[in-house]
Amino acid sequence: MRSDVWFVIAGMAVATYLTRAPMFVALARGTLPPRVRLWLRLVPLAVLPALAVPLVLVRDARLVIGWAHPPLWGAVVVFVLAARGVNLLASVAIAVALVALLRALA
Amino acid sequence: MQRHSDVRGAVGSVREGVLASLALVPSVFVYGTVFGGLAVQAGLTAAQTLGMSVLVFAGASQFVAVPMLAGGAPALAIIMTTYVVNMRHYLMAATLAPAFRRFRRAWLFVIAHVINDESFAVAVARSQPPDPRVYVGSALAISGAFVGGVAVGVALGGLVERPERYGLDFAFPAVFLALVAVQLRRRTDWLVAVAAAVLAVTLSLVLGGSWHIVVAGLVVSAIGAAVLPVETPSTVDEPA
Repeated sequence: MRSDVWFVIAGMAVATYLTRAPMFVALARGTLPPRVRLWLRLVPLAVLPALAVPLVLVRDARLVIGWAHPPLWGAVVVFVLAARGVNLLASVAIAVALVALLRALA
Repeated sequence: MQRHSDVRGAVGSVREGVLASLALVPSVFVYGTVFGGLAVQAGLTAAQTLGMSVLVFAGASQFVAVPMLAGGAPALAIIMTTYVVNMRHYLMAATLAPAFRRFRRAWLFVIAHVINDESFAVAVARSQPPDPRVYVGSALAISGAFVGGVAVGVALGGLVERPERYGLDFAFPAVFLALVAVQLRRRTDWLVAVAAAVLAVTLSLVLGGSWHIVVAGLVVSAIGAAVLPVETPSTVDEPA
């Protein structure tokens, strides 16, 4: 493993604390403008697909789309299960098991 | 006498927060276990995995950081991505802050560190405005469950050889997709999620590396916030 892991962890800790403390301490009264609230709600909705979809569809800077690609099936399954209200960890476990099974069969 | 019953009331509220969180404790514990196991599999040491869990204490962003660390992403890209993933804390902090008006400033800086999705959900679901002591009790239960789970995961994680055989590498995108799926409420939410995915895939094909996450996440959410209709408070106050 790379040598700067503790440096990255420290940076992550500071960055995360900056998302928690300043607003919490300063905003002991008053509220955020509605458009800022909307933006803060949309950020995870944009970041999470931006993270997940390339992990599933892109490998070595090339698009991997095909029904013989197990993660694609796993992605569809976990998304549908979670959207239907199945417990988050159960959805993930089922999708992971499916990917393992498809790989074993291939 | 008055003072005595105040203290007892305060302790009671903290205990209430702990009890109200017990339903969430098993899944937070397992979530921590999964994180601990995968982080060790990816090559982090036990100390680094536990250190990250205590110092950062934000599960989703930790799940994001591990494959980036293992894949050799630049330190700044990982830290920026962590920041963007955790920007949702601003919303929770702003909602909780007024309830903590009477707390000492020094305590606010401590309590801020344990702001988390689950305790926010518990406190806001219990009362409006949330009871700060219920919140503190919940944060104690949730942080204990998470860090305890990570410790168990670290111990178990070293036992699994070739994790991709069990599909465990897929656990990362699976967690992210499940988190998106449960947050899609309005039709325009889908628009934001799909646009971000398309932009991220395109950027990732063109640029390689890992900046596509921060860029697509910030650009698409900012455009969405600028052009989409503002919602009424009742639709934004629910926990993510």
